[in-house]
Amino acid sequence: MAEIKEITRRLEEVHRKIKAEIPWEPVGHTPMPEIPDLRNWDMRLLRNYAPWYAPFCDLCCLCTYGKCDLTETRRGACGIDIGTQQGRIVLLACLMGCSAHAAHAGHILEFLIEKHGPDKKIDLGSAIAVEAPHIRTVVGLRPETLGDLVTAIEYVYKEVTHLLDSTAMGQEGSCLDYESKALHAGMLDHVAMEVADIAQIVGFNYPTSVADTPLVDLGWAAVDRTKPVILFVGHNPATSTVVIDYLRENGLYDKVELAGICCTALETSRYSAQAKVIGPYSRQLFFIRSGIADVIMTDEQCIRTDMPLEASKAGSALIATLDKAMYGLEDASGMETSEIVRQMVEGKKHFAILDPRKAAEVATKVAMTIAPQRRKEWLKEEEAVELAKKCNVCGMCEQVCPNLFNIGAGIAEVAKGNFDLLREQFNLCVGCGKCEAECPRRIPIFKIMQVAASKETWKIRAGRGPVMDTEIRNVGAPITLGTIPGVVAFVGCSNYPDIRDVAEMADEFARRKYIVVLSGCSAMVAGMWKDAEGKTIYEKYPPDFDAGGVSNIGSCVANSHISGAAIKIANIFAALPLRANYEVIADYVLNRVGAVGVAWGAYSQKAASIATGCNRLGIPVILGPHSSKYRRLYLSRKEEGDWRVMDARKKQIVDTGEPSPEHLAYVAETKEKAMVMIPKLCIRKNDTPQGRAIKLNHYISLYKKYMGGGLPEDLHLFVRRDADIPLVYKKEVRAYLQEVGWQPKEPVGLPTLIGTYPTKVPVDAVIH
Amino acid sequence: MIPYHRVNVLTGIKAARIIEDAAEYANIILKARRPLLVLGPRLLEWSLGGKLLLSYALEIAKAANIPICATSHVKAKMLELGTRPDSVYDVVEIINALKDAEWKGVRKEGNHDLVIFFGIRTDLGEQGLSVLKHFAPHLKTMTLCKFYYPNANYSLPNLRKDEQWKTFLEALIENLKKGG
Repeated sequence: MAEIKEITRRLEEVHRKIKAEIPWEPVGHTPMPEIPDLRNWDMRLLRNYAPWYAPFCDLCCLCTYGKCDLTETRRGACGIDIGTQQGRIVLLACLMGCSAHAAHAGHILEFLIEKHGPDKKIDLGSAIAVEAPHIRTVVGLRPETLGDLVTAIEYVYKEVTHLLDSTAMGQEGSCLDYESKALHAGMLDHVAMEVADIAQIVGFNYPTSVADTPLVDLGWAAVDRTKPVILFVGHNPATSTVVIDYLRENGLYDKVELAGICCTALETSRYSAQAKVIGPYSRQLFFIRSGIADVIMTDEQCIRTDMPLEASKAGSALIATLDKAMYGLEDASGMETSEIVRQMVEGKKHFAILDPRKAAEVATKVAMTIAPQRRKEWLKEEEAVELAKKCNVCGMCEQVCPNLFNIGAGIAEVAKGNFDLLREQFNLCVGCGKCEAECPRRIPIFKIMQVAASKETWKIRAGRGPVMDTEIRNVGAPITLGTIPGVVAFVGCSNYPDIRDVAEMADEFARRKYIVVLSGCSAMVAGMWKDAEGKTIYEKYPPDFDAGGVSNIGSCVANSHISGAAIKIANIFAALPLRANYEVIADYVLNRVGAVGVAWGAYSQKAASIATGCNRLGIPVILGPHSSKYRRLYLSRKEEGDWRVMDARKKQIVDTGEPSPEHLAYVAETKEKAMVMIPKLCIRKNDTPQGRAIKLNHYISLYKKYMGGGLPEDLHLFVRRDADIPLVYKKEVRAYLQEVGWQPKEPVGLPTLIGTYPTKVPVDAVIH
Repeated sequence: MIPYHRVNVLTGIKAARIIEDAAEYANIILKARRPLLVLGPRLLEWSLGGKLLLSYALEIAKAANIPICATSHVKAKMLELGTRPDSVYDVVEIINALKDAEWKGVRKEGNHDLVIFFGIRTDLGEQGLSVLKHFAPHLKTMTLCKFYYPNANYSLPNLRKDEQWKTFLEALIENLKKGG
């Protein structure tokens, strides 16, 4: 009885928070889901896509019983085994990532509510009515004001605390439950990102309901170093937008150069197309060491932790503007502006200034004062050659390189006056600086690289924010039927095997009329390539969310709009209600929306969390080879897997035998393999014969292009009937199918996992 | 021993046995009932004495009748060189299959008892070997690259000179041909 009362009380509380009395849609089964509420969905996913654990460390060193050796079947002092420990670490990584976005969202929301008030209306323009697909689907709330977003983010905070609690010593003891919790954290992350970006769009008046956003200058050489330069590093636009306001108000906007690295660059260029985007995280140390920035303003996430040291070495002034990264600097928020400026200019002191207005004024005054005194000349070729001559090719630089290449060979070539190899290696450099730190002869490798690095500049389209409802209406049918072969999202960080890979992949799939969307550092590097006519992909392809379109959605937090677009297809095209209806929507995406994420350079915990959130929603993700260091993938066993679905029309369970999508989290060793895996992971059980034939056409042709001819070894698993076979390969495929003893399969009317596992959701809920 | 690429440094107890003697390597391979050779894309990039490393790999397979699993885009070059791989999986997929003791193997004769990795990017290779070290007690692993892989059962040391590696591979092929 007491339990029933408690459940009723909780439900009443949840209904109050989500304003259940407003009947925009009926409230579904899981408003504000807690850890157990979607666990059965997770377990159903994990039955097909079991965690593949690659321990990065065989020990546990999280409590004073340890270190405990967990090798093979050993257990730690608390009883934990190596698999469960991996699940625990994965959950911790996802929580770090989710927290980074949630704290960003919380901060920016507070900042903007202070500026505009909590009743500021959420208006994303005339083309976007479904403003917050994640918040609607997960929380069950349709947010109308900035104040409503607080409800969503407070829900995230609460869940994060419970999840983190489970990682304490002596708690969860199942790797699958840790995975369910990681999936929960990933889902929460998408809610948090959505809160952040909706608040930013509304509060900063970013572009919205438009595809054709301005083209912005991209590249380190795009920065006008004759002007005082203020560099923003990180993710949170609270600071950079205030600096822009300050410069505009004081008539200084044309006198100071503004540039950004990492996602804060994308945010800044959404506020002012005049700001320059230098590039991804991997260019951070390189650019800072160039000394071009007079003032560096850090905010949060993806900032180097040795920033004060590096700023001092480069002769740049540093202001830390957010509490998340204060570097041990004196907090000058309460100090007189003139005194801070004096100490920064005369004493070369760095400060934390948490008041954005004050930070903006200080940064401007310091930059304008010190810029004329600073020498911003790049190293000359002959100087680089002299420095390179100190190299004795000891190989230490190669041994510490996370991207495993031999920069020492490039330096040795420079010593002979040849910069070609180093120029090539600049494309492989992930910018960590470990080579230089390890060099016993202290050769300034990054400075030498300045000479070799391309001085080319490019264009990137400013982040556009959410996909428009009108676009979803246009593409909903062709995506779910398969006639648009897929949505490919290039997302995430810049730990690339080769910085050119993303542009090459994006170009390949845009040319093939996939819908290509990009975000974050991937959006930047995709712009760092030009075709034979000198056009970047942003100039070459239309900016629409449509077949053959290439859209920069925005920064890291804008990833929520990419996954949100999949949700919107279920709602706008298929008319499925979103409100607290997560299982139905995720099931729809998994079985019918041919979307795949490619986090080719993922390095951060945020990328782990975003990808895991995509996985819970039914979107598979391909990662670059180094990402095996995340420790966990979700892989199927193809023919050995359980590919039964419910045919919702016939209410019958059907064994399709079709591994689609084949994996949920997958590492490809090479770009070539990724090129073949992308079209395969866009295959869905709901494809019409025409759509399937189009998808298989791309799968086969890319296989032939990159795998050297023949047909894919698993092709027979994806051909249901003769009509699925692409016309151009009809003869060859028929012969192959005969050879392997293929038999046609009955079509599935409405494929769903609902009804194949214990859930409160009735099968009829998936019928629209 | 510390692996050549420091990102692969072992944080654990159980490390690979280092073997430098090609005859000993050959004996281990020849004693295996169902060995498997997993070939990675680095074999397409590296040459020793003007000969593509993939050619050495194919000679090893031929000398001891070892089935080949081609990962990534290795298959294309293999076909060009006149050899069809017994199976095509990417490295994470073949490892996923191998960790299942009941898997039938690439020749459908039962899971493999010795898996030889050659030409995989070292960080991915080391992670893959970690999977098998912890979750596949039914098989042993071996590497043929010139770097030390602590998560394998048998590994070469870090070979500073390519000539040493070339000598080792040639001796291995000879020993396999001789039958140990």
